[in-house]
Amino acid sequence: MKIKMNRNQIIVNLIALSFIVIIISYWIIQGAEIFTKTKILVDKTSELDKMLGVKNEVWVDKFILGLDYSIFAIAIIVAITILINYILKTKRKESL
Amino acid sequence: MNKFFVSFLAFVFSFSLHAQGFKVSSSGEKTFDFTDKGKRNQASFFSTTPLEDITGLTNDVNGKVSLKVNDIKSLKGELSVSTASIKTGIDLRDEHLRDENWLDATKYPNIKFTLKEVSDVKQLADNRLQIKFSGDFTLKGVTKEISGDATLTYLVESEQTKQRAPGDLLGVQAKFKVNLSDFGIKNQIIGQKVAEVVDVSVNMVGSSSSK
Repeated sequence: MKIKMNRNQIIVNLIALSFIVIIISYWIIQGAEIFTKTKILVDKTSELDKMLGVKNEVWVDKFILGLDYSIFAIAIIVAITILINYILKTKRKESL
Repeated sequence: MNKFFVSFLAFVFSFSLHAQGFKVSSSGEKTFDFTDKGKRNQASFFSTTPLEDITGLTNDVNGKVSLKVNDIKSLKGELSVSTASIKTGIDLRDEHLRDENWLDATKYPNIKFTLKEVSDVKQLADNRLQIKFSGDFTLKGVTKEISGDATLTYLVESEQTKQRAPGDLLGVQAKFKVNLSDFGIKNQIIGQKVAEVVDVSVNMVGSSSSK
């Protein structure tokens, strides 16, 4: 089955694909975590801590995109894209 | 011959009874307070499963230990962390951790450890000892004896240590394992997203107050 798309549909699909690629890339760059995090551990170990044989880590607020939110965002993009494609296809039929 | 043998045994026995401790300029009995206004002390747990690794950490560690500087086996004390202060990096998961299916922070606001015994002392340096310890660990209202390994480092008060706190400093790095079901923490997620046995580690520095 050959799917025919008009110019507007192709543009919408390319934009949607770009967003999906950006989301996946951002997810990979942030460590490909499964679950989205709102805090990360930062090492604050000082020279004195090292002399005392201990480490010192603290939680710092930072948003780390996880697979859960990524899939949710991609699903929304796909749903919107399908809807727009449908609307554009309908308009094309009406114009004929 | 018998006298010689008995003397030899007595010498060996007395040598084995020789107290092991820090070889530093401080002496006598010291009490170390681990309450740090700067919240630099930490207790953490680590759970690993094929699905997810979870680190939970709190900087709200309190407690005191006392010891004779030259006899580490005299070490006694109690430590506690506030249950609600444990963070895992995900706010929603922290809420779940505090609820009654997990740690029940409202009913059991503190997790406690009371040190009972020190054994297998190894002198790593004049001011550093490796020990095995055992004591009573109280989690979610259940107290069980646990044992673990620790490294203790003693720093006599100096200009550098004063930056952290007045008095001598005792650095403690301890590790032990906790089987969650031993403490009444049982639910369907354990074994899937959360390990049945979690690794607990403590990194803290206490400052001495003269006794």
